[in-house]
Amino acid sequence: MAASIFRSEEMSLCQLFLSSEASYNCVAELGELGQVQFRDLNHEVNQFQRKFVNEVRRCDEMERILHYLEVQIKNADIPIADDGDNPEAPQPKEMVNLEATFEKLENELREVNSNAEALDRNFLELTELKHVLESAKIFLTHESDPTASLSQSLIATDEGKNEPQQLGFLAGVIPREKLAMFERMLWRVTRGNALFKNHDIETELKDPITGHMVRKCVYLIFFQGEKLKMKVKKICEGCRSTLYPCPDTAAEREEMLAGVKTRLADLNTVLSQTSDHRQRVLVASAKHLRSWLIKVRKIKAIYHALNMFNVDVTNKCLIGEGWVPNDDLVRVKEALRAGTEKSGTSVEPILNVMDTTMAPPTYHRTNKFTSGFQTLIEAYGVATYREVNPGLYTCATFPFLFAVMFGDLGHGIIMFLSALYMVLNEKKLAPIVRNSEIARMIFGGRYIIFMMGSFSMYTGFIYNDFFSKSVNVFGSSWHIGENATLGVTTYGEHEYMLSPDNTEDYVGYPYAMGLDPLWQISINKINFQNSYKMKISIIIGVIHMMFGVCLSIINHSYFRRYVNIYCEFIPQVVFLMSLFGYLCFLVFFKWFMYGDGPNFDEVHGSACAPSVLITFINMVLNKEDPPADPKCVSVYMFSGQKLFQQVLVILAIISVPILLIPKPFILKHQHKKKMSRRPLTEVVVDHDEQAATGGSTTSLVSNSKATSASPKGGAAPASGGGGHGHGHGDEFDFGEIFIHQGIHTIEYVLGSVSHTASYLRLWALSLAHNQLSEVLWNMVLKIGLVSDSTAGSVMVFALFAAWAFLTVSILVLMEGLSAFLHTLRLHWVEFCSKFYAAEGYIFEPFTFKSILNPDPNE
Amino acid sequence: MFIFQNIIIMLDSAFNIDCGYLEGLVRGFRNGILRQHDYLNLVQCESLDDLKLHLQSTDYGSFLANEASPLQVSVIDDKLREKLVIEFQHMRNHAVEPLATFMDYITYGYMIDNIVLLITGALHQRPISELMPKCHPLGTFDQIEAINVANTSVELYNAVLVDTPLAEFFGECVSEQDLDELNIEIIRNTLYKAYLESFYNYCKNLGGPTAEVMCPILAFEADRRAFIITVNSFGTELTKEDRAKLYPTCGRLYPDGLAALARADDPENVKQVAEFYAEYRALFEGAGNNPGEKTLEDKFFEYEVKLNVNAFMHQFHCGVFYSYLRLKEQECRNIVWISECIAQKHRAKIDNYIPIL
Repeated sequence: MAASIFRSEEMSLCQLFLSSEASYNCVAELGELGQVQFRDLNHEVNQFQRKFVNEVRRCDEMERILHYLEVQIKNADIPIADDGDNPEAPQPKEMVNLEATFEKLENELREVNSNAEALDRNFLELTELKHVLESAKIFLTHESDPTASLSQSLIATDEGKNEPQQLGFLAGVIPREKLAMFERMLWRVTRGNALFKNHDIETELKDPITGHMVRKCVYLIFFQGEKLKMKVKKICEGCRSTLYPCPDTAAEREEMLAGVKTRLADLNTVLSQTSDHRQRVLVASAKHLRSWLIKVRKIKAIYHALNMFNVDVTNKCLIGEGWVPNDDLVRVKEALRAGTEKSGTSVEPILNVMDTTMAPPTYHRTNKFTSGFQTLIEAYGVATYREVNPGLYTCATFPFLFAVMFGDLGHGIIMFLSALYMVLNEKKLAPIVRNSEIARMIFGGRYIIFMMGSFSMYTGFIYNDFFSKSVNVFGSSWHIGENATLGVTTYGEHEYMLSPDNTEDYVGYPYAMGLDPLWQISINKINFQNSYKMKISIIIGVIHMMFGVCLSIINHSYFRRYVNIYCEFIPQVVFLMSLFGYLCFLVFFKWFMYGDGPNFDEVHGSACAPSVLITFINMVLNKEDPPADPKCVSVYMFSGQKLFQQVLVILAIISVPILLIPKPFILKHQHKKKMSRRPLTEVVVDHDEQAATGGSTTSLVSNSKATSASPKGGAAPASGGGGHGHGHGDEFDFGEIFIHQGIHTIEYVLGSVSHTASYLRLWALSLAHNQLSEVLWNMVLKIGLVSDSTAGSVMVFALFAAWAFLTVSILVLMEGLSAFLHTLRLHWVEFCSKFYAAEGYIFEPFTFKSILNPDPNE
Repeated sequence: MFIFQNIIIMLDSAFNIDCGYLEGLVRGFRNGILRQHDYLNLVQCESLDDLKLHLQSTDYGSFLANEASPLQVSVIDDKLREKLVIEFQHMRNHAVEPLATFMDYITYGYMIDNIVLLITGALHQRPISELMPKCHPLGTFDQIEAINVANTSVELYNAVLVDTPLAEFFGECVSEQDLDELNIEIIRNTLYKAYLESFYNYCKNLGGPTAEVMCPILAFEADRRAFIITVNSFGTELTKEDRAKLYPTCGRLYPDGLAALARADDPENVKQVAEFYAEYRALFEGAGNNPGEKTLEDKFFEYEVKLNVNAFMHQFHCGVFYSYLRLKEQECRNIVWISECIAQKHRAKIDNYIPIL
């Protein structure tokens, strides 16, 4: 178990024989344990033709009711109790009870709802009628005689005219947004022969069906004649307005209004009782909702898993297959036993470890610290089964490379503290961040940020960079002595030249740790730091890559690909070391042997120090430049360097064909030998050995093809394909292997050049970060600090806010993100490409955890 | 100015400035269209619940999850349509010109159908509230429910349609005649003719790939209507002159084919007209009502599906929105057909759906 982060765990394919009675409980126990990945043995059978489809469907139905309940509860603003408990999967016979409970609840709720809706509608109608009557009063205030009929003609009937024309009118309520359309249409249809009056209802009314609040208004239409009345009525109906009867006389209206008001009051009490009842039902079910939901989902998950099982011919037992980590076999057996005991049958479940040639899934046991780093690596690719896992080393190298780019003590502290806060309060924060994707991402990487922050503090200390200022902790080794030469720069500023020769200027020993604070204020700071950081980048890069190459030998020897050690690993090391390893050696040599001051003679003085880069280029081109100064004697740093370099270049060149040519031939030879030794019919190889040798040959034959098929191979019927999974080893395509090896060689040789150069990003980003924070200091905060008026104190106050904001947002967040991405690239491309095949597929056990906690991160 | 416009038109990718997001969206939706193997699974279903279970594993997801068992075919139909309408309206809400007008044009067709549906219903004394749910949601407009105010087409125009986008198509069918069955059919076809021609011209004026893609599709639509009007008119009181007025003139049949169709007296004549057009000849050959033969209607649908699938081969044009809607409607028809066959235990004809991809 301890080695599981180093390589993935050993898995075995197990066959489970479960008696029909016990199968449900056993799978339930396995779901609680969550360490078995079932294989789908019925993948050719349709989802709806499987054995337990009815049960799944019943669960769907229950889920539907629960969903309905949930919506109702949420609409009523009742909190759903979340006590975090984990109810066990109920027995199948309890399902009937659950179903009955849910159905009863649903019926009750639907009844209550329909009652409430009817009441609401009634209420709405009455309220609207009330408003109509009230508005009619406003419209008709000029009416003098309360007993006079509204529809009587306004103009007194003349004797000479025909019978008096009666004015008809209709009153109703319409949603406000339809008013304009309604009015226009009315005008069109009646050709302006209707008088339209409207009045807004002040209060919002509740729509009984949707429950939304709507604004409406009351209207009155006056018109003449029956025909027009028909038309107007049709329009009113067509525009979803409701017509209300409105008596002709004011007295009748008053009477009606009074009646309506008493009915409204009655209705209000009934309404409140209904909603109380509804509330009670909902509150009661809100208490159980979560546990019900979990129970139903568990049942559903179990039946889904059982649907992947084969049914025995006698129908007495179910046969399943699944991957189990070897370390958990005992726990799985215990779970099965517990499941059998629960179901009360005497038939013992049988767990059978099977021999197989299928590629097992990759499973790394991680904890909350390592899981973040493992995720970064798995985003690149899931490790091949039992391959060396870069995730382990990433835990240290990732924050370190990040910190090299992000080296600033101050910014590091900000990052460190914010991550520390997240780490210390992780229990409290976990439910809060669950809803926001970005927050969840940052929270998920809290340990990564924590490490990055603390490493940045270290590198910031080494760079002696604290918000772009230096800290003089140990006392600088440099002082401006009496003899310091004073010069004038081109900008007219005075400058001192300090020489290490002079004991007044230089105390004779360097600053105790990190860069001397004096460099921060020196003019040639950038020149000095560039040279230092570039060299450091190359050194770190070569070490990092070399480490990656060395990890590949662990893979080679584990998978018994001994050919690869001689034909890949050794030439790769020779190539890398003879070129770039030597480059690093030159850097160190120059650091130690050359310098200024009393300890160095003229030949080793700073004026005579040869450029490492030029030396290296000339070495590869086999060229020789004359020394810069005749006093320096030679461009070489030590005697015999020229010969040594020539040998190295030849070694590097020789290693290329070694990388390219022998391996395909050796493989071909091995294959021939194997074919002649083995009878053509079929071979049964011992499980362990076959896994190892089979694994090696397949991946050698065609590295990508053989294993990329493995996830699918995992789904193929296993029992039949036991021996034949080895099929890849039997075909040997020499041309393909040779081309593959060629690609591999070119990739490595060109890669080591470009990858080494790629590590220069460590320097580039570090420089950018340093410069940016210096600019921010000089352009923002410094303005406030240099001002000596009283206004300056106010300015500092404001400028500090700006400076702090920009520091956090640009330097910590954006620069941090950029450095993070570059680090990721260095790991994915430069590091992983040296040894990591990443052709596995992940272990996804059947577990109830995702049901309890839908959040994938937790 | 002219040169400048040319440059803009040449830059097809300028389409993406306004419509790139939506085009991406609609292509994503298209990838969710059921494929042959989905249909193979669907036709094996024993019950509608099986169908629901299988649809859950497709892009439809849990669109039926909140429906109580046992399922009705009508519920499935409603939900399918609802999902499509939501998708379409989402895209319409995000659309800017010229796509917005283009998408509005698509909805006009549904408006015409809805109006005709409501008037026919009103003629048969059915209340509007009962008819409204049957209307296509893409073709509703504010005034639609007041449609039974109208007794004549003049009233229809003056009271209801004058404020809708359909007003411009209505010019030719204004008459004082009372609305009756035949009249309504004529109104529908006249409206549709005007609509198709207007849509065709709009696409043509847009130019570029939109015109390239949409004009053939709309031309086919026009021709199909011409054929179907002719076939359906035999044995009715519609005169040949009136019939000729209903033919949309934006198709490939215009003008010779339409003139020939106008003279047709029986289905054989129609077939002879189609002989002159390679693509239509193929459709009429082998079409029939005997068992084992595909109906002409299905043949037309198949051809339409082909055109619409091909629309997705071009990029930077509005046609994909039209095609997506049409394909999805065909898919809904397929699913409903299969559901009906399952519900009625009538499996013999279950394979008569029209595969899309």
